[in-house]
Order: sequence, then structure tokens, then C-alpha cells
Amino acid sequence: MWTTIFISGISLGSFYVLVALGFALIFGVTRNFNLAHGDLLVLAGYSAYWLWKAWAFPFVFTFPFAILVILLVSLGLQRLFSRLRDPIELNSIVLSFGVAILIQNSMLFFFSGNYRLIRVPILSQGIRISGFYVSYSQLTLLLLSLVTIGTLYMLMYRTYLGKALRATIQDKDAAALAGINVAAMGTLSFCIGAVLIGLAGPLYGCIHYLYPSTGHEATLLAITITIFAGVGRLNGILLAGWILGLAESLTVVLCGASWREMVSAVLLLTLLAFRPHGLLGKGEG
Amino acid sequence: MIFFTQKINPSEIKVYRVGLVLGFFVLIVLPLMVQSNDYILQVFTHALLLASLALAWNFLGVSGSISLGHAAFFGVGAYTSALLSLDQALSPWFTIPVAGLLATGLGLIMGLICLRLRGAYFALATLAFVEVPRVITDNWDALTRGSLGLVGISGLPTLRLGDWYVDFGSSITASYYLVFVYSFALLGLVAFVFRSNMGLAFQAIREEEIAAEAVGIQTNRYRLFCLLISAFFTGISGACYAHLVRYIEPSLVYGLHFSAIPMIFAVCGGRFTILGPALAAIVLYPVDQFIFHPLLPAGHEFLYGAILVLAVLFIPDGFLGRRQNA
Repeated sequence: MWTTIFISGISLGSFYVLVALGFALIFGVTRNFNLAHGDLLVLAGYSAYWLWKAWAFPFVFTFPFAILVILLVSLGLQRLFSRLRDPIELNSIVLSFGVAILIQNSMLFFFSGNYRLIRVPILSQGIRISGFYVSYSQLTLLLLSLVTIGTLYMLMYRTYLGKALRATIQDKDAAALAGINVAAMGTLSFCIGAVLIGLAGPLYGCIHYLYPSTGHEATLLAITITIFAGVGRLNGILLAGWILGLAESLTVVLCGASWREMVSAVLLLTLLAFRPHGLLGKGEG
Repeated sequence: MIFFTQKINPSEIKVYRVGLVLGFFVLIVLPLMVQSNDYILQVFTHALLLASLALAWNFLGVSGSISLGHAAFFGVGAYTSALLSLDQALSPWFTIPVAGLLATGLGLIMGLICLRLRGAYFALATLAFVEVPRVITDNWDALTRGSLGLVGISGLPTLRLGDWYVDFGSSITASYYLVFVYSFALLGLVAFVFRSNMGLAFQAIREEEIAAEAVGIQTNRYRLFCLLISAFFTGISGACYAHLVRYIEPSLVYGLHFSAIPMIFAVCGGRFTILGPALAAIVLYPVDQFIFHPLLPAGHEFLYGAILVLAVLFIPDGFLGRRQNA
């Protein structure tokens, strides 16, 4: 049983990391909390669902479309965020809360409130790896997440562009003084975030029912993981996601599936109450 | 930086006063004007209830904190009053205040966890906080009947004074006036508190907390006080909602809707004004119900999202707030 919990926790956690990375990157670079993040995820899921259902596209080909949709929406969103006045963090929360309501109601209008699921037959099968059963959907979540995270890590730590992004996260003013185009870095972070969400969304539609208001949960997850890792610390995010994933699968087994929704909320509250600068971040007080 | 005083020129104040008196009388005679139309009256009853919610929210909002978790108080208020009147057969006159007190208790818990945080982090913590009472209500089947919700909640009871009585339960006009009186009483309380020394303290805290601390305002005590009062009245509004609508379920009363709505009204109407949040509720909710709902049955709350986005970008201090470049 413990192995099952471990496998599902890690694969779920890796997926959460995929969802949270974009949120964390956007927050780090632009100091904008994007509360519409989860709704973008659901929107990506719906775009994939639409292609798959109405046009009978093979599931794999829905990813580029989802990425394109989210990229366009994100760039529009970034234009809105860039007009905000001080205090940016608080105003971005209010603004993106409004955007979340906009996206939710648009989805309600176009896709109705019915529960939708992308059914990919092969994902519901599984294999035994040295005696332990792993479903293909768990394997896909794990592999796709790890590959994406690895790619992003390479981008951040092995390229000049990544260096510029990290510099902007650390100190915006100093980065600007060093000749980094901070505004462009902001746009870039929104683009990277959009690509990550576009990858995660169709998968989300496979493992979770899609309905317009479900994005809230994903937003909360992304916030929890970001705060857990500490602002701008991308390498802590993987660990944070795994811990959250494991905590959730443990809760499901010990207390039942309906208590799962409380895990990330309680974790976030505990963090904010005791270590508001992140468990892995260097505490400023 | 602008400290403490809001510069509003006297002619503007005159416009507000005329508007307030006019609105007051229109709302008083409204049941006479729409005599045969229960639907219109129901919408305005709900609008007034939402106005009370926005006013209660703004008790906290005026000191600079933005809460995204007031549905916690609303839901606890609704469930407390509904369960006490359903299971213990108590009169709503008794259960509604109890609901307010229980919501205040929850406010105290929220205060202990969240009040150390400022600005954005406070908002995020309140966003997460709602999940706790929601999931507990959802899962405590023995007490709350879980996600099925509660049906058949008693309506507001009849008030008897000798031979004279008002039946708030079945008369829509009577319940309209009850909510009307409650909302205006709350407006009066808000006006009284905001104009007292305490109101000055709230302003000081929101403009510059360290400076406020330096002149001897015990900021934490004031912020907790704001939160408790806010929670109390939100709980009362939730209880009223339960007895007016007579059907509640966790995903409804703890939903994002009741966290978002008071914030939207307060931000649009003017977070740092007395009247703004209530005015926005009384104008926007009927606009939503009479114009947008028939046009877009699914997704009519699009309006609220759009209005919130526009307000944050172009009038961050709200319709009645101070003008940015004045």
C-alpha cells in the first residue's frame, strides 16, 4: 500500500510542479500573483477537450493548440497586469481575481457546467514495474512533468537568457541597471508560464473532470507550492510539489478522498502563519 | 503621500447627500411601485442583503486589508442558523444572532492565523482559509448532512406585538423591509464608526501602518477588531440568506461567489468610502439580474469580472473614492 501511495503521490506531485512553475516564475519576475492561473489550466483542458471531441483530433495533437490558446490569453493578461499601480502584489490579486471570474463565466457560456473528461483509453491501462502496478497516466504525468521541469531548469541555469531571468527575480532594479530589459523578461515569464499551462491543461482534462469552477483548486495548489519553496527559488519547487502530492495521497488513503481539498489550504495557512518567506527560503523574519 | 484626509470638495458632498436621501426614498417606496411584481422585489431584497455583505466586508477593507475569504463567515452563519432552526426548532430571531457570534469565533481563529500578514499575503491566506470550514461542513455528515445541503429551512418568522403582526416568512414585502432596515442600520453603524476617532485610526493604519503605530495606535488590536465586526455581520447576513432562500449547500454558501461579491462591490463602489460598497451592490446586482441574466443565462457573472478588472485598472479607489489626479 505504501508503494502505491508513494507512486501516486510523486506522479501527482510532479504534475503539481508543472502547474506551479509558471505561477512561481511569473510571480518571481513580475511580482504579480496570477489568481487566474488555475482557470487558465482549465481553459487549456477545455480547448483540448473541444479539439478532441468536436474534431476528433488525436489527443497528442491537442497540446500545440492548447499552448497557442493559453499563449494568446496570457499575453493579453500580461498587458492588463503591466498597467497596474502600486501596491502591485495586492492589486494583481484583485485584478486576476476578476480575470478568473471572466474566464470561468466564459467557459460556463461556451462549454456549460457539465462535467467533461478527455478519455484516452491507453492512459487508463498500466504496467507492472518490478511487482508494482503503475498506470500509464501516472507514468505520463511523471515523465512529462520531469522532462519539462528539466528543460526549464536547463533554460534557467545554462543559458544567458535564464541568467537574465534569474537576475530579474533577484533584484529588478539591479537587473535593469545591468542592461536587462526587465519588461521583456516579464513578457517572457508569461510566455513560459503559458507554455507550461498549455502542456499541463490537456493532461489535467484526462485525470480530472473539467468544469468551469474547478480551476480554483489548482490556483491554490500553485500558491501553496510557490510560497512553500520561497519566492524565486525554482529548485525548491520540485520538492514542495512532491511533498504536497505525497501529503494528498496520504490524506486520501487515511481520511478519504473528500478531505484532499483541505490539504493544500491547511499547508498554506501553516506556512503563512509560521514561515511566510517559505520553508526553503532564507527567512527574513 | 496623502495622510488621513480625503479631499472631497463640498459640492461633491452635497451631491452625495442628495443622492443618499433620494436613494433612501426610492428604496422605501419601491414595494409600492412594483406592487404586483414579486420578482423585482426579490431581486432588490437580495441586492440589499448583498449591500449589507459589502458593508460588513468593508469594515475590514477600510483598514487596508483585502479579504478573499468572507464566504467562510457567510457559510458558517448560514449553516449555524439553518441547523439550529431545523434540528433544535429554535426561532430564527434567536439563531441569527447566534450565527453572527459563531462567525465571530471563526473570525478570531482567522485573525490569529492571518493578521500577522500584510497586503497580498493576507489576501492569499484568507483565500485558503475558506477551504477549512467548507471541507469540514462537506464531510461532517452527521451534523450538516454533507454536500447534499439543507432543504426546508424555516422562513423568517412572524413578529407579533399584541394584535399587530408582520409575517416576514411569506410576505415578500415584509422581508424586503426587514433586510432594508438591517442594511441601513449597518450603513449607519459604518458611518458612525468611520467618522469617529476609530475611523481615523483605520485610515491611519491603511495609509502608513508604521506611522500609525508611532502615534500610539495599537494597530493589531484595531485590525482584529475590524475583522471580528466584519465577521459578525457577514455571519448575520449569511443567516438571513439561509432563511430567505431556505435552501443552502456547502458549495453554494462557501463558494467563491460570496467571497468575491462583497470585494467586487467594495472595490467598485470605493473601498475607503462609507456609502460606496452599498451603492455598488444596489446598482450592480439588479443590473446583473435584469439585464445580463436574460441575455446570458450561463455566464452572466461575466459582468462582475469585467467590472472588477475595469475598476482596478481605471478607478482603483472606486466610483465614490477620491479622484486620482484631483
